[in-house]
Order: sequence, then structure tokens, then C-alpha cells
Amino acid sequence: MNEGTGASEGIGGELGMAAETDLDARGAAVIMREAGERARRELTVNRPAIFVAWALVYLLGYGTVWLSVRGQQPYDAPPGWALALLVVLAAMGLAVTAALTDRAASGVGGATAVRRRVYYLSLAIGWLGVVTMQAALRSAGASRGVIGILSASSPLLVAGVVLVAGTAAWLNWWMFGLGIWLIAVAAFSGFAGPAGTWAVDALAVGLPFLLLAGLRLIRR
Amino acid sequence: MSQDGLDPVIHAPARLRLMVTLAALPEGDHLSFTRLQDLVGLTPGNLISHLRKLEDAGYVRTDKTGGGPSALTTVSLTPGGRAALDRYTTTLRQILDTARPGRVP
Repeated sequence: MNEGTGASEGIGGELGMAAETDLDARGAAVIMREAGERARRELTVNRPAIFVAWALVYLLGYGTVWLSVRGQQPYDAPPGWALALLVVLAAMGLAVTAALTDRAASGVGGATAVRRRVYYLSLAIGWLGVVTMQAALRSAGASRGVIGILSASSPLLVAGVVLVAGTAAWLNWWMFGLGIWLIAVAAFSGFAGPAGTWAVDALAVGLPFLLLAGLRLIRR
Repeated sequence: MSQDGLDPVIHAPARLRLMVTLAALPEGDHLSFTRLQDLVGLTPGNLISHLRKLEDAGYVRTDKTGGGPSALTTVSLTPGGRAALDRYTTTLRQILDTARPGRVP
């Protein structure tokens, strides 16, 4: 998640193509600008694409699950086909995230690579933990409604906490804000009931992700 | 230093590109030789030659791990190299500001 140091930022922006020979100050400025832009573009993870991928997971995946359970009185569980669609979409989101991260991180080593591995490992362990906890609650006799709320919101809670904790390593305050938002959505969406939780999570996560993708594209 | 105050070790197209590319990484990170080659578009021979000059000046550090076909060479900017690039950037800004049309000397 390299943001670059910007050593050449702002230099040579108005200048033409670099001369490869007989380097003068203007040519040097152009080389700095072009090399800096290329390095930042190639070494930075394409976050807008990742945000769009996860926005689709929430809007389509969670949205479909909500449509499939909204008429259930009392709440039972999402049908297999809706959960299967959600799993497929989540797998696609993970695949897009992994591919874009690998592309930027290829050949890069050192502290950033270690932080990135710990970050993704934390997410995986957290998600594994909440899935296990759901099984434990089910075996302890928790109602289907409780399991429904937990299934929808606990992955968000894990992602939010990892993002907030990750701010200590990355010092990226957008991560902190997003993490706080995900924790808040996970914490409060349950008040919409087991069926409504899926709808609240779909909109409260999917739409901000689309907004963030748009904002980051504009910033580029 | 050259006549205009620009560090001659950095003030060459290929080496300038190398320094700026490595400076895009946070401190403490390094790039593999092959990824660096891909980013700056130099042949392996040219890249080795320019890296040697930068390494002799203490601006970059190369490390080799492993042996045989799995050997991996990594390149990183040293703190001294980052400081040298900052000085180069400052000097370049001053030169460009002075040369800007309409400026009274």
C-alpha cells in the first residue's frame, strides 16, 4: 500500500518530452516526473478497482440474500442458492484483491511486504474465528435470528477492526475512517432485525465503497 | 558537483530514473533486480553498470540472497541516497525557477 514519497512531485509538469541525451534541467525535470508517476502507478495497489469489486459483493450479494429472506416470518435462513451467490461473489472479490495486490507488490520486499502479509493474515484469522463462533453459538442453541445477524455483520466487524489496527502500521487515515464506519455498521445494523441487517449492510457498505472508488479516481 | 550544482552521479537519464523509482518506495523497502529493470526499461548490463556507479557513491545498496537459479538480487535506496535525491530536487527547482520566463534576475 505504498503511497510513494513524491520526491519529484510537482516538478516538470508543464514540460515536454525528455531528451535522452545532453540532459538539461528541463529534461531532468521531465524524467523525474515521468519516472515518479510510473513508479507510483505500478507500485501502488489499484484501490478503486478493489472498492468497486467489494461494492458489488455487498450490493449484489448481500442485496440478493436480503431479497431472499425479507418475507420470512419468523426469520429462518437464506436459501442455499442465495448463499452460494454470495460466496461466489466474495470469492471473486478476494481474487480481484489478491491479483491487484500481487501486481503492485511483485518484487517489492521489506517492511511493507511484511505489514501486508500480517494484515491479510489477520483478516483471514478473524473471519475464520467468527465462522467458528457461529457454529459454537448454533450448537449452544442460539436462535436463527441471532445467527442471521451474526452471519451478516461479523465479517464487517472483523474487517473494521483490522483496518483500524492497520492504521498503526500504515498511518493512512482513510483506513481508520473506513474501519470505524464498518464497525459502526456492524454494530448497529443488527437493530434492523435478522432480515433487515442484510439490507442495511448491503447499502451502508456497498454505496460508500462506490463513493470511495470515485473519490480516489478523481484524486488521481 | 557539476557547474550548475547538480550531482553528476544522479544527473544522467538512466541513473535519475533509477533514483526516482527507488525513492517511490517507503524507507526500508527494496525492489528485486528484475522488477526494477522492468520499471526503468534498461538492459541487465546497463542496469548493473548504473547501479554500480550509484552504489560506489553510497546512494543505493544491492543485496544478493540465495545461490544458483534461485538467487535474488534486491536494490534499495540508502538514507544517503534519499538525501542526495532531495538535494538534487531542490537544486533543480532553483534552476528551473531562475530560468522561468519573465523572471527578473
